[in-house]
Amino acid sequence: MDRGPGRVLASVLGIYVHIPFCSAICNYCNFNRGLFEPGLKERYVSALLTEIRQEGDGSRADTIFFGGGTPSLLEPFEIEAVIDACAEGWDLNGDTEITLEANPETVTPERLAGFRGAGVNRLSYGVQSFRDDELVRLSRLHSSAKAAEAFAMARAAGFDNISLDLMMWLPQQAVSQWLESVDALIALGPDHASLYMLEIYPNAPLRDAMARGRWSVAPEDDVAEMYLAGLGRMDSAGYEQYEISNVARPGRQARHNLKYWTDGEWIGLGCGAHSTRSGTRWKNLSDTEDYISAVERGTPTATDRRVLSADQRLEDALFTGLRLNAGLDVGIVRQRYGVDVWARYGEQFQPFLDRGLLSYDGSSLRLPREGMLVAHEMMAVFIG
Amino acid sequence: MDQAFIRNFSIIAHIDHGKSTLADRFLELTGALQAREMEAQVLDAMDLERERGITIKAHPVRLNYTAKDGRQYVLNLIDTPGHVDFSYEVTRSLAACEGALLLVDAAQGVEAQTLANAYLAVENNLEIIPIINKIDLPSAQPDECKRQIEDIIGLDSSDALLASAKEGTGIAEILEAVIDRFHPPAGDAEAPLKALIFDSWYDAYRGVVIVVRVIDGVVRPKMKIRLMALGQDYEVDQLGVFSPKAIPVTELGVGEVGFIVANIKRVSDAKIGDTITEIARPAQEAFPGFTELKPMVFAGLYPVEGHQYAELREALDKLRLNDASFFYEPETSVALGFGFRCGFLGLLHMEIVQERLEREYDMDLVTTAPGVLYRVTTTDGVVQEIDSPAKLPDAGRITKLEEPVISAMILTPSSHVGPILQLCQDKRGVQKKLEYLKSDRVLITYELPFNEVVMDFYDRLKTISRGYASLDYHVTDYWESPLVKMDILVNGEPVDALSIIVHRDAAYERGRALAAKMRELIPRQMFEIAIQASIGNRIIARESVKAMRKNVLAKCYGGDISRKRKLLEKQKEGKKRMKRVGNVEIPQEAFLAVLKLGTD
Repeated sequence: MDRGPGRVLASVLGIYVHIPFCSAICNYCNFNRGLFEPGLKERYVSALLTEIRQEGDGSRADTIFFGGGTPSLLEPFEIEAVIDACAEGWDLNGDTEITLEANPETVTPERLAGFRGAGVNRLSYGVQSFRDDELVRLSRLHSSAKAAEAFAMARAAGFDNISLDLMMWLPQQAVSQWLESVDALIALGPDHASLYMLEIYPNAPLRDAMARGRWSVAPEDDVAEMYLAGLGRMDSAGYEQYEISNVARPGRQARHNLKYWTDGEWIGLGCGAHSTRSGTRWKNLSDTEDYISAVERGTPTATDRRVLSADQRLEDALFTGLRLNAGLDVGIVRQRYGVDVWARYGEQFQPFLDRGLLSYDGSSLRLPREGMLVAHEMMAVFIG
Repeated sequence: MDQAFIRNFSIIAHIDHGKSTLADRFLELTGALQAREMEAQVLDAMDLERERGITIKAHPVRLNYTAKDGRQYVLNLIDTPGHVDFSYEVTRSLAACEGALLLVDAAQGVEAQTLANAYLAVENNLEIIPIINKIDLPSAQPDECKRQIEDIIGLDSSDALLASAKEGTGIAEILEAVIDRFHPPAGDAEAPLKALIFDSWYDAYRGVVIVVRVIDGVVRPKMKIRLMALGQDYEVDQLGVFSPKAIPVTELGVGEVGFIVANIKRVSDAKIGDTITEIARPAQEAFPGFTELKPMVFAGLYPVEGHQYAELREALDKLRLNDASFFYEPETSVALGFGFRCGFLGLLHMEIVQERLEREYDMDLVTTAPGVLYRVTTTDGVVQEIDSPAKLPDAGRITKLEEPVISAMILTPSSHVGPILQLCQDKRGVQKKLEYLKSDRVLITYELPFNEVVMDFYDRLKTISRGYASLDYHVTDYWESPLVKMDILVNGEPVDALSIIVHRDAAYERGRALAAKMRELIPRQMFEIAIQASIGNRIIARESVKAMRKNVLAKCYGGDISRKRKLLEKQKEGKKRMKRVGNVEIPQEAFLAVLKLGTD
């Protein structure tokens, strides 16, 4: 019997560390980030260390994830200081997954060796595309060649767990062009890959660029084709899909990100970081300066603290769980929440089951790929 | 008061030709309002206006004016609605006047609305003083305007006055002309009371407030009165005039204009055009011209969410308190559930009612395509009027089907004549007249089936003339026509709320266009959706909405589950705003798709 992710509901804590600096602002990105500034960075790292000392409560944790922004803009010694502080604050064992998000143009063999030495054991490169024309349209600072070079450097530095991010549905991208990037990724042979659809948020500068350049994005049917064909190639290359947009070589699933989909718990450190713990959600102050001053003054960094109702916890567990290939284990839900998913929602799911967009084998609800493409239609069923 | 010193008049003008600015100047000049309090006062009136809803006009204002002859006059300025939907109300307001100021924008010239209302004034034997307004504009052409007034309307414009209401020039001259050239009211002060109702509205504190012009006799508080058309009796509670604030008076004598409060509960009990008389000494005859207002345009109004039905009924009840010209009765649709068939004076009236329901009563509505009142003769010889496609008998039982026809006056720059004639032909019109009023200005008169006009005529006229053509119309007749009922089927099921009555020859084209429009408006869903147009059992058009392929967002940034959740909630909310017909979710705007054909 399959005991893959989704079968085990995580209870060990994940630690997310937000690094809000970038060397340039990408035209499609609306994450919490700002331009790199050395002085600000030093104060920020010091604030982070203070927050870690305050938050650490000795509980078990098995992942640290440096996300951004561009975390690879930090110096290796700074990353090391954060990891060490986490090790003091929480109970990490030797098997902790420590991921650093990196942009290809920010790394050198020396820096990579430094990160490795600091304890980072997983790298996640924001490659996005292996076509230079697409990278230019996205205002990215690296080229396809630079991405390949950064990948080789990471391998040389001893990283044996590397993930690459690719985006489909880019302006002007046709199905065949998307598949070129997928093939280029497969040729490098990373251990993990994320295949995302670009979402262009309403006021993104990319929208203006698209209007000026008269660029368009592929129609809905082509995007579906990109998704299915891209994943098909990953299958053939020996990767296993475990979540709507993530594939990995056996044993290389992102342990940290799985906590988000398996009703797990995580603590977010740094500005704008989100936490979910003991049925409560909160978010740190988004603005970098606000966050630093709050830490320096000793006032709370958390805002928007919300105790989730039993129904909300259940609904969130249900809709996030459906993202996994392993599916949503109705037995575990019954155990945790005392709710029979099938009895409560079965009727509303019937039309999806009839169309083969969802399957139910008596123990798990699963989305086949065609179903994953329209996952939100089914997830909305859970929302009260 | 001595009727020799009263003048009752109105201002006839096209929208934006400066009517309200001129009225404000009159108020200022006569001291009815201090310049400083002006803004606030006018705004108050607008609030009241909004509460009153559909009449879209201000209440009459009494101006005390000391003329150059040193005498004190009372000038009653009576407003008229500016839209064709309310032309009956215009005639009643004009009947309360002896004169009208015909206000024409010096740069724009005469428009269809001005023309139509000027004709009404002439028919009511009013004296007319032409005023050329906005002479301060660089593009002003006063001589050209005068020529148009003579050529188009047929009025002597040699003594037209020039003014700029905006700059305040020529205002006193206008008031002097009102005194010199308009007659004082005729009428017999000793005769039995006869007062014409030309406006009424509902006031939450006082009940119905009716606005009257005393034709003969006098009305006083405590007088027992009768509304002649309905034969209902009341006792006068309050009398007053608007100056522009409401001021109580102890009597309204012959020729005077003012308001009466008499414990009347509903505006439908105080019909515009009715005559008030004294029970003790009744008038022999009512003032002529009273007509029961009949709704002309019909549509279904449904709550988006079924449980709002009771709320909608309550909202309609309240609206009707204030608007007697609007009609409704319960209607059931297979597709939309429980709702109401509503009748309106015209399209603008329909829009106003809809907007008030949405804004003031917070209703979420689905409106079906507007239609008109058809006359159907069935094989058993019975003639009935039907206001909804659903009520049309089977084709086999119909021996005669008639539709209302309007006489439409379109005034346009000559450069747009070609496309406008084409539009009128497309809409099955019959040309009656085409006059070049001058080399670049044309008056087109057409007979048009009214149902074609309520569909999308006005929008298209405005589009093809770039907004320059103006339209006025009134229903004149019924035509026998080969009309058919066209149904729209969604996944094989007819959606009753989408059925329309259409001319047989236009059915194919309309069916194809409507099916194509529906394809655009219905979002992709989990399965393919077939959209068909049919007449009887014959399918005349077919479109399909392909099954949805993608609805998923991938990124989950740093564990921000709330954001994902919000997205799903938003999606769910969007679905709630659609109507589920069978297993298909249909957005509200799709039910009005027929109005949007050929406009994009």
